[in-house]
Parts: sequence; structure tokens; C-alpha cells
Amino acid sequence: MMDISFRPLLAGLCALPALLAQDSLGDRAHAVLAARCLGCHGSQAQGGLDLRTQAGALRAVQPGNSAASLLMARISGAKPPRMPMGGAPLTASETELLRQWIDQGAPYPAARAAEPKWTPPLAPRQVTPPAGGAHPIDAFLPVNKPLVSDGVFARRVWLDLWGLLPTPAELKRFEDDRTEGKRDKLVARLLSHKENYAGHWMSFWNDLLRNDEGVIYHGERKSITPWLRKALEDNLPYDEFARRLISPESPSDPDGFLTGVTWRGVVSASELPPMQAAQNSAQIFLGVNLKCNSCHDSFISKWQLADAYGLASFFAPEPLEMVRCDVKTGRVQQARFLFPELGSVPEGLDLKGRRAVAADLFTKPANGRFARTYVNRIWARLLGRGLVANVDDLSAEPWNADLLDWLAMDFAGQGYDTHKLLARIMNSRAYQLPSVTEVSAGPRYRFEGPERRRLSAEQLADAVASLTGEWRPVENRATREVAYAREWRFKSSPLTRALGRPIRDQVTTVRQSQPTMLQGLELVNGATLARMLRRGAQRLMGTLPPAPKALFDSGPVRGVKMRPRCEIDLTGASKLWLLLEDYDTYDPARARAGWMAAEFVTAAGAAVPAAEAFPATRLNALPLGTELVLDLAGKGFTRFVATAAVEEASAASDVNASVRLFAFTQEPDREQLVQAAGPTPVVRPHLSLATPQLAVIHLYRHALSRDPSAAEMMLARQTIGARLTPEILEDMLWALVMSPEFQYIR
Amino acid sequence: MKDLLKHIDRRRFLNVSAAGIAGALAAGSARPLWGQAKERPKPTADTLIVLWMAGGMAQTETFDPKRYTPFEPGLESRRVLSTFRPMDTVVDNIKVSEGFTRLAKVMDRGTLVRGYQAGDLGFILHSRHQYHWHTGYAPPQSVAAPHIGSVIARTLGPKNPDVPAFIDIGQNMEIGAESDALKAFHTAGFLGTEYGPFMIADPADAMASVRPPAHMTSSRFQNREKLYKKMLEANPVLRQGADFQQESFVRAMDNAHRLLNAPAARAFDLSLEPKESYARYNTGRFGLGCLLARRLTEAGARFIEVTTEYIPFRFWDTHENGHDRMAALKPMIDGPVAQLVLDLEERGLLNRTLIVLATEFGRDMMTEGKPGLEVKNQVDVPDTMAATKHYGMHRHFTEAGVVLLFGGGMKRGFLYGETADERPCKVVRGAMGIEDLHATIYRAMGIPADLAYEVEQRPFYVTRDGKGKPRMDLFA
Repeated sequence: MMDISFRPLLAGLCALPALLAQDSLGDRAHAVLAARCLGCHGSQAQGGLDLRTQAGALRAVQPGNSAASLLMARISGAKPPRMPMGGAPLTASETELLRQWIDQGAPYPAARAAEPKWTPPLAPRQVTPPAGGAHPIDAFLPVNKPLVSDGVFARRVWLDLWGLLPTPAELKRFEDDRTEGKRDKLVARLLSHKENYAGHWMSFWNDLLRNDEGVIYHGERKSITPWLRKALEDNLPYDEFARRLISPESPSDPDGFLTGVTWRGVVSASELPPMQAAQNSAQIFLGVNLKCNSCHDSFISKWQLADAYGLASFFAPEPLEMVRCDVKTGRVQQARFLFPELGSVPEGLDLKGRRAVAADLFTKPANGRFARTYVNRIWARLLGRGLVANVDDLSAEPWNADLLDWLAMDFAGQGYDTHKLLARIMNSRAYQLPSVTEVSAGPRYRFEGPERRRLSAEQLADAVASLTGEWRPVENRATREVAYAREWRFKSSPLTRALGRPIRDQVTTVRQSQPTMLQGLELVNGATLARMLRRGAQRLMGTLPPAPKALFDSGPVRGVKMRPRCEIDLTGASKLWLLLEDYDTYDPARARAGWMAAEFVTAAGAAVPAAEAFPATRLNALPLGTELVLDLAGKGFTRFVATAAVEEASAASDVNASVRLFAFTQEPDREQLVQAAGPTPVVRPHLSLATPQLAVIHLYRHALSRDPSAAEMMLARQTIGARLTPEILEDMLWALVMSPEFQYIR
Repeated sequence: MKDLLKHIDRRRFLNVSAAGIAGALAAGSARPLWGQAKERPKPTADTLIVLWMAGGMAQTETFDPKRYTPFEPGLESRRVLSTFRPMDTVVDNIKVSEGFTRLAKVMDRGTLVRGYQAGDLGFILHSRHQYHWHTGYAPPQSVAAPHIGSVIARTLGPKNPDVPAFIDIGQNMEIGAESDALKAFHTAGFLGTEYGPFMIADPADAMASVRPPAHMTSSRFQNREKLYKKMLEANPVLRQGADFQQESFVRAMDNAHRLLNAPAARAFDLSLEPKESYARYNTGRFGLGCLLARRLTEAGARFIEVTTEYIPFRFWDTHENGHDRMAALKPMIDGPVAQLVLDLEERGLLNRTLIVLATEFGRDMMTEGKPGLEVKNQVDVPDTMAATKHYGMHRHFTEAGVVLLFGGGMKRGFLYGETADERPCKVVRGAMGIEDLHATIYRAMGIPADLAYEVEQRPFYVTRDGKGKPRMDLFA
């Protein structure tokens, strides 16, 4: 299975991260062959096929002609037996990779000489950028290609800084602008908008810091959302940001980070909160993986059990006894930093004191790894590939150490200001080059432009919302304030989970962005996206009925003690809508609630019990989700009076009814039972319906930041036909959103 | 394996396993590390159906009946072992609790395990034990552990490419306080979202998952796909150069459309089932879930889980009124599970379909946890019972539990393991933890227990630390 004689092909690739640096098409294809085929078709040469050399592969590979290559027919199953025999079939990506590799001549690389081992520096390193190039980054990465157009640039920076699409109006303004340095100015303007900036970067940090919305765990777990949001809006300097997380002191500091993710019961010693704190802070801030050596000395790196415990002891009430593979060793490890040369720890400090020392050791200028790790993450975020490819392992050799060290020092020198770092990178030519999906062959990675990146789950949801103006309101359960919200504010949905929004039990630094069939199913017929697009199309066309305000909103009603009184004016109303909604009941199927002691009051002041006024309709002890529509015509009622109540039995702990009741005198919009106060995150678009052309141009410019081509316009005109309807618009929107051009940042 | 690895330095480890590293990166998902075995075990099953009795199904009230004590006021709690009488089955040495008339008749198609022991997690939290059962690891974990369905989807791939390899039926994911814990293990974790569960909360609605969006007619849906393809064709940007990212994306969309149009999609439509057959399964959501599982198996499913659904304090999670609630639950599973076995047998599929009926732990009246390793009591059990609400098995018992295995290469009419007939009802023979249970299940599917997937440069084993050993006594 593991073919050691394949070593010549991979000679010199003695470290995983170095391997990441070599990934021409040929290298990647060979990696797939190595992983999935060589077990039988390497030294064993089963069926006479040896895929380690081109000569040996000719039996199944016709260089230049994938369609005629037996290999492709076998892996697709077109020609049985399907390969790999007895194993899972190749994924779509792997298949495509091999197809293109064969079509490009099925190249095999020459053997490579062994490379000297890389030692990662700790201290910052002063580097002078090479001569030439107006921007220092470009001096390191000279690439002679024209930059992307204004439209591509605008879409890129809007998505990278705000996670939103540029509106057609903004796009036009930008394109028409002839002033010098307009791109730099756009970046600066986008950075200055606190809410939109934070609305995007919250997800990045939620992934890293294991923070989530609406999560309720047994045991302790604490959200850091208020602090994090403010830190992003205020552009808190990164070193201060890290210090607050590592050593929270004031009540508003984010102590949820050190609390970690706990479960009631016995927890492995390697996952106690101080150990989690050590693993997470080492990974996030220093690109060090302490997970292996939280149980035993690492088999694959220099880190030892004592290192993990040494760091964990900064975060434990008392220094910790080391436990190796769940067996106590009897040795207590005092607090000791991963890089002791940065400073020793005074003895006898309490927890607060030790945390403060940790915060200092992580962030002090002499700790060059701190800045390097962060600039590398941001670089990877914007350019699609880190200067050190594995952003969680900064011990590996960067593909451009000078650039990394220069950028890190530049960042530290300007005060760890993230906005300035972002602008630094985005103002370079390197960032503005056309994106690439393939890298040319060669022994080392060569930068030719940013890599094409996929929209994240949140970016997709927000992009659809900004395209259609259909934003969803979210209610702050504590303050009951309702506002239109970006996707990060909501709990994960099947759609966002399928698109890669992680369960935040673990630190996530890179999201999975591969297309999958489950994603396909959500995008093709999932209810979440379907609803967004249907309503969105109606909103754009102006056919969405207005959402009336409820005359009565009980708010959350739990148990039998909460019995809010409802008293509403029915004058002039022809109908009364009474809604009973679930609000997180344990067992919604068994919960019963409703309108107790309900009465209708006439103009004369007489109170008619509901059972008399509407004998066919029961108003109380209703199942959740009931919507009653009462016809008031000719009855002469002026008021409705009732008590919103949960039935006694439903308050029992195994039902735990939690409900909300609404009363309307106009048809309610079930998606907007509570009204949001305040603006939508972006101004709602106005779709010009004057002519089909204008509508199509607007859609393309909004979705893709470019005009439709002649062929696209013709197709759109044909599709619209005589008149644009909400259904046609919905389907066109869907097709646009499903375009790979939309789904990726070009 | 651990000792061996200690002596392999980093270079050698990476060289020895060089083959897949870059492959993993190329493919975007963790690569497999096949363990010590030279050959993969020959599978005895191609499809796995897990029938999940969520909430802790009381073993002495179901498939491990003990002495019956009828209720009377003043009955001492510690005298009660079973609140039902035992009944015979078609297998001589196997009795089950009364109320399982249909299952009693199919006992000769399967193996009954009576010694399953849940993990010692220090405190009974259902969702934590469920996580442990479904992944083989107790949370918190430093990497996102995959569900057994995802391991199977990743390792074996789908059977029929038009049927998602991992289908999960019957669980609503928003259940209040334990929702996030539930989501934490309904995932492919580090294996990649490609292998995550295709969730169908209500089997009666399953067709909707493979139909166009509800408000869209079939012809509009087809036209929409045509429009999509034409738009791609007309797009000047996309035509610039070969691009496997774009191709992958369009292919994922194609695969989704293909499923919706495939003959396999009809398996999701329960309305196509003949009326009498439908009626035999229709005891509620779980019953219809079993019917859906059968139809999907016929269509070529790989892994299906049908759950009675976990909702705190509901269904098997009997904190009170145990007897009455069990009396209502038994008919819910008896007919459908037996019918599932018989229908698969009739269609010649039972031999290659492994059905596993299991629960996160058992129940007892007195012990919370294991004898000798008790944990904090969560249910107040009075010394003597005053009302029928006290009558039943209410505490969470991790010492013993039952697993029923049908088909898929398992022995027929076989009893494995035994618990004592008197309190504390410890396992006396054939104790089996999750490592060995999973090892046995994986073995049946042709997967070695020490298969690992690489994540963050370390192996993550499909059974904890690769330690699972399949119980070969269970195999025919």
C-alpha cells in the first residue's frame, strides 16, 4: 500500500509543508495517483500497469487525450472494473485533476535533490525589500501581468473587507472615477465602515476563537460576541486583542476564550480547559500544534508533553500535574513558555499573574512568531495561500521568507493595526493580479497571482440578501431588539452547514471549500435558499406584500407564571389573525397554548366570550403553529381581550413549552412577524423594470460586477420574453447565483 | 501501533506514508492510513442500517427480561427488575419482554447481544453518550470526530452513486438545550462535508428532499436547469481556460440534479408503497422511517440511520412512568423492525444488509452509571413506590445494554453475552464496549478496526486508537 520505492519521485519532500509548496498540476495529479492507485499499480504493477513512470503508465494513459485513456474510463466506472478496486471512487475534483493532467501530456517530473532542513526563526528579522517596485510587496513578487479590471477589483475588495457585493451604483461610481489612487481610496473607505467590516470579519474570528451564536451547551461555555464585535468595529490593535483573550481582566474582557468548550462529566486530562487554552492559543497566535503533545511527546515534531503542560499551567489555578496517555506521572510542570528564551516566569504567581505573564510573552516584540503567524493568516485569507502554506504550522519553510519577515516587521512597526495590514496587502499589485487556479510546473511554488477563492457560507447568504434586499431580522433575546442582520448573527442552518460553516467545538482556521453533492442538494432544492430567492425576487419586483405590525406580541411565554394580557382595538378591522408560534419548546408536538378567557367587546361595551362569538373555533389549548383567522364582518366588535397562556400540562419539564402569540388585523407576513427597526445592512437595491435590458444589466452588474455579454443579454431577453415576472426573475437569480463566477472570487 | 510510532522519526513517518499526504491536500480531504493488515477484510454486508433507540432503552424491559414484579402500592423499588413478563421467541434460548410479538418471530434471523457496556463518562448526559456511541470518542475532542456513517461514506463511497452514502432519518435538529451537542456529532468532521449526513427529519416528507422546491412545478424546475446550462455556455469569463474548480462546482450541481431525476429518487416517495405494506410500517415516524430505509436499501443506499428521535425526556428517555411509556413504545418498533427484516429477506437483501438496533445505554431502577462506578443520580427513586409513575426503569445504567443485529453476515438465532439475574445486574459474559461493537460492524462492512484517517499529520482511528477488536463469534 505505501510504496516506498516511489521515494525518488518525492525525494526531498521531507516535510509536509514543503510538500504544500510544490503543487503544480503534475504534482497534484501524482499525489492523487500515489494516494489512490500506487498500492496496486506501483511496484506491484498489477495488470501490467505501473503509474510511477510515463512509460509504465502508457497502458492506461494516452498523453494528451484523456477521452481515449483507459484510466479515465476505469475511474468513472464506464469500463468495469471500476478503479480503485475495492475502494471509494475518486471525487469529482480528483477526476478532473487527472483528466487535465492527461490532456496536458501526463507529465512526470524529474527527480529532485534533497533540500536542506529549515529552522523557523523566532526573533523578528529586518529585511530590506529588493530594489524596484513602487510597493514593497511587489518588489518581492514581481509579476509582469496586467492588473484586474475595476469591476473585478471592486467585487474582490468588497467581498474581502465587507463580505458584501458592490451595488451597481457604487460600481459605476468607482468605474467612472478618474482620480489618482482611486483603488487605494476605495480600500480605505471600505475599511472605515465599522459595521460592515465587523459584519464580515466576525465569522473569521468566530471560527478561530470557537465562538458561536445561539449555542447552549451543558456545562460552561461563554460567548465573547459583544467584546469581539466591538474589538473589530474599533479596530483594536492585534497585540492588545491577543492580550485581552489570553489575560482577561476586566468584566468586559472575553474570558469565554479561556473557558473553552466543556462537557459535564469526566474529561480527558488533555482536554481540560487549561489544556484547551494552551492548544488554542498556541495554534491561533503562534502556529504551533500542541494537540499531539497534550497526551504524549509528539511523534512528528519537537514538542513534548512538558511543553503543552508548561503552557497550560499559565491558565490553570495551580500548575498542573502531567498526565501521559491518561496516566498520572506524578510530575508537576510549572508554567513555562514554549520559547523560554523570550523570558522566564517569576515563581509563586497566582493565576491572574501567570496569565498576565503569558500575555506578555505571546505579544512582546521579540516574539517574531506572533506577528508572522497573523500576517500569514491574513495573507492566506486575501491571496488564497499562506506564505507558509499550512497556516497552523509556522515551523515550515515559507515560500518567500523575506516577504514574510518583512511584512511581519512592517505590521509590528505600525502598531499591529489590522486595517493598515489589510490596506498594505490590498494596495499592492500582487493582490490585484488576475486570480490563478493552476500554478506552473517547477520545483518550488512561484507566485503568479492570488488563488481563486470560494465565497464562504456567510458571504453567499449575505450576497443573496444584498442582491435581493431580502434581509432577515434577528431578535436579541436579552434586549428584545429586532434588527436586520448579517448571516453571522444567526444559528447555522442546513444550508450554511453544507457550505462549510463549522461546528465551533474546535478551532477552524481554513474552511472546507470543495463543492460537494450535499451542497448541491441544498443549493438546488434546499428550502432555505429557495425561500430567500423567492421572496427576494418578489421584493425586487415590488410584489412582496407589506408586512404589517402586530397589534399584540406576547413576547416569549414560558411556563404558567407568564400570562401576558392581550387587549387590542378592532375598530375597522374585517379579520383577526391569531398566531401561536413555537419559541424553542423541547417537545413542540405535545405543547398546547392559546388565548385564555378570550372575549370580544361590542361598541356598547358588552363582553362576548369567544366561544359564543365563534362557536366553531377553539381559542385555547391549541397546538403550536396554529393560525386562526376570524371573520369579524358584521359582528360590530371593537375590542378583543384575552390572556396568552401555556396549558398547565405543557409547562412540565419534558415538554417545556416556550411560545409566542401574535394578533394581527391585516394578513401577517410569516417571515416578518416581528418588525426590524433600523436599516438593512446595505441599501435595498432598486431594480429598474423600465426595460428588460436595464433589469438584466442591473442584475449582472450587481451579481458579477460586469455587464452581460451580447450572448448573455440575448439569452436573458429570450428567457424574459414578453414580461418579467417574479418567477422568471427568481429563476434567473438562481442561475446567476449558481454560476461558478458568482460562487468564487475571481 | 503507538510504541512502533515512537521509534519512527518524523521524516520516516512522512516518507513511509508519503503516498497520501499530498493526495490529501490535492483532494482536499483526509487521506486514509491502512493499518497493519496486509489485506482488507472481506465484507459480509454492503449496506448498514442503524436503528437508533435514542434516550437509553431499558434492556430489562425489552430484550434482556428479568424476573417480573407486578405493581402494587408500597412495592419496594429495589425489588423490581422488569415490569413486564418475559415471552418466548422462535429461538429456544432467547426470551424477550412481552409486547414484541412480531420481533419474537424474527429472532432467528439475528444475533442478540446482552453485554453492551456504555462508556464511563463521569456524568450521564444523553447527547454526550450519543456522541460517544456514534463517533467512538468522548467529547471534547481536539479535532472534529466523524460519525460512523461518515466513516463508511468516506471509506466505501456510495453504493448507488445516485443515493447519498449517508442518510439520517427522523431527527429534528432543533431540540432545545442539547441541540448543539446533537449537531456536534451529526457531522463528517475532519473527513469533509462531502461525507456528512443527508438529513430527513420526517420520512413522510422525504420526497420533498429530492423534489424541486415546493413552490416550483417539475417543468419549471427542468427549465431552470436548462437555463443554468445555457447561461454557463454564454458566459465569456468561464470559457477562459480549463479550470477544475469550476468544473467541480458544476459537477456537484449536476450530481444534485441527477439525484433529483434519478430512478433512485422514487425510493424516497413513500406514497408509491402498496397500501397494505405501508400500513404494516405505519406506527408513526419511526415506523415509516424503517419503510424508507428498506426502499433506500433496495435503491442502493450505503448507510442509513433511522432514529426514534432524541428529545430530552421523551421516548426511551423514561425518567418516570417507565412501564406505561414502554408499553406504548414497544408497538412503535415491534412491527416495523420485524417487517424490515422480513421484507429485506424476501427481496434477497438481508444477507448483505446489516441492521443494528442499539441505544446509548440501558436502564436500572437503582444504579446510575455502573455498579462500583456510580455517578450523580438524576432521578429521585423512592424506596417504595406509591404510584404507577414510579413503576419502571428510570435511572441511567451504563453497565449493560442490548444490541440487536440482523443479517449482514451475523449468526442467526444467536445469543451473545449475559447479565446477572439479580441486582446489580452486572454483565457476566460477553461484555462489549463501543470499540469492539464498532470493530465488529466495520468488519462486516469490510473496514479494518485500525483504519485511520490523517488529520493534522496524525492518524485518527475509526475505533478509538485503533484498539477495537471485532467479535468474530458474532459472524456466521
